[in-house]
Amino acid sequence: MCIHIVACSSIRRIGDARLASGKAVDTQDQQTVRPAEPPSDREDTRSPGTPMSQRLRAAQPWATLLARVALAGILGYSAYTKLPPALSVQSVEAYQLFSPGVSEFIGYTLPLFEFALALLLLVGLATRYVGAATGLLMLVFIAGIASAWARGLTIDCGCFGTGGEVAAGETAYGIDIARDVGFLALAGIVMIWPRSPLALDRLFGLYR
Amino acid sequence: MGKAARQASRERLRQERLKEKQRAKRNRILGVVGAALVVVLLVVGGGYLYLTSQRESEQQFAEQYAALPPQEVQQDGSVVLAEEGAEAPVVEVYADFQCPACQEFEKASGPTLQKLAADGRAIVHYRPVSIFAQQPAPISSNSLRSAAAARAAADYGKFVQYHDILFENQPTEGTVGFAADDLKQWGEDAGIDAPAFADRIDAESAAVDQFTGEYSQQLMSAAQDEFSQQKLQGMSLGELMEWGDENGVDRSFLEDTYVKEILDATAAVNERYSGGESEFSGTPSVYVNGAKLGNEAFSGSGIENAVENAEPGQVDTEPLASDDAASGASPENEESPDAKE
Repeated sequence: MCIHIVACSSIRRIGDARLASGKAVDTQDQQTVRPAEPPSDREDTRSPGTPMSQRLRAAQPWATLLARVALAGILGYSAYTKLPPALSVQSVEAYQLFSPGVSEFIGYTLPLFEFALALLLLVGLATRYVGAATGLLMLVFIAGIASAWARGLTIDCGCFGTGGEVAAGETAYGIDIARDVGFLALAGIVMIWPRSPLALDRLFGLYR
Repeated sequence: MGKAARQASRERLRQERLKEKQRAKRNRILGVVGAALVVVLLVVGGGYLYLTSQRESEQQFAEQYAALPPQEVQQDGSVVLAEEGAEAPVVEVYADFQCPACQEFEKASGPTLQKLAADGRAIVHYRPVSIFAQQPAPISSNSLRSAAAARAAADYGKFVQYHDILFENQPTEGTVGFAADDLKQWGEDAGIDAPAFADRIDAESAAVDQFTGEYSQQLMSAAQDEFSQQKLQGMSLGELMEWGDENGVDRSFLEDTYVKEILDATAAVNERYSGGESEFSGTPSVYVNGAKLGNEAFSGSGIENAVENAEPGQVDTEPLASDDAASGASPENEESPDAKE
């Protein structure tokens, strides 16, 4: 019964999150065919390899492009749903980790930071490092959710839209963490294999 | 030059060229990383400046109580803030003074609402509820005590001021707050100096204690004997209390209290918006002419847009007779008159 809980749109939000994570899973499926090649910026030093590994190598840039676009979509969507900032501040406060002032600052800047990362992933600037930053952000999110879980808080993670308290039976920490691990994997792909088409980096002669 | 020397110099050249290449590459990476950092700074810094300046401009309308239009208490204990004869969209605000999301809502959108009412661009209908009444104390008692106190302040035409003070002083969930002495002091701060206000606070506090203590225990244990756990969870507090009336759980101590008004108002909104897109499903819930707002409610500009795009509406409650508005007297209508649609 919804009347017990503070900000009651949590059910819809979890649905939204599933939608977004579904998208991520799709992309990952396509990633499974990618080659297990060593991380390298120096594409010219590669050996030709077997026909199979050549084909996989040819697919890798497209897989990275997909991971980039998917992550950009996920981050952009999550930034959008966190606004207006009053909602975002509420989500951060629910974790009870920061003082009110710090919570407010994070609440205001986190959606903006996510949006900036989304923009950079989309245009492919400093791809490897933006991928690493995105991965770090996911690790921070996972740690935050795990800490809320461990402390027995009953909150919505606020990953997509408003967080805040929810009824005891409505938490979804396991799903939230699993989803963020999926996003972490996408970020890992971008970081380890930054070479992809349609990237600004190429204009600067990087990851060609 | 010997062959070995030539080879060594060639090797050296090759090494240097390689180094040069690596250096160039490092510079390119530094370049793009720098560019990316600039983008992040611009987006985050620029966005932060924009959002905070927007907030500040909205906060300018805060606490401009002298400019407020009349606050009219309604028969169900809600309060309408509107210019005399205003023809404007009706913004209903359902909030619980103990709910943190409501506090965020008030911080973000409260001043804009007051300004819209002062400008005659909206009829703001404050409808306090207690979504926490069924929970254990202190969350339930905080919620009920504050709502009853705000209702008492409304008798003196100070609801909006008092409402703002309550949200500023909202206790952390799970801690005891909104103590009777504080509630009295805040009344003085809001400009209420009648002793009857303090008496009313004491009476309401006593009713709250009895409700969240003895009464709730009796009601729950009687209901647990009668209903399955599953059935119990599906029942609203209003339904439970009605069942209690017929089964010997006495709540006559609530007669003529504002605590009862709040409980009735909470039951009434659950009926009024009981399904579909506008279902009442928690607080804060904000409706413009009966249509529920989403996330846009959490910014002054979002509320303003929603109001601009709405037609004039009608308040669905009747004002309390004006002659007992300032007497602190009990409401005449015990039936929640707003239950009619």
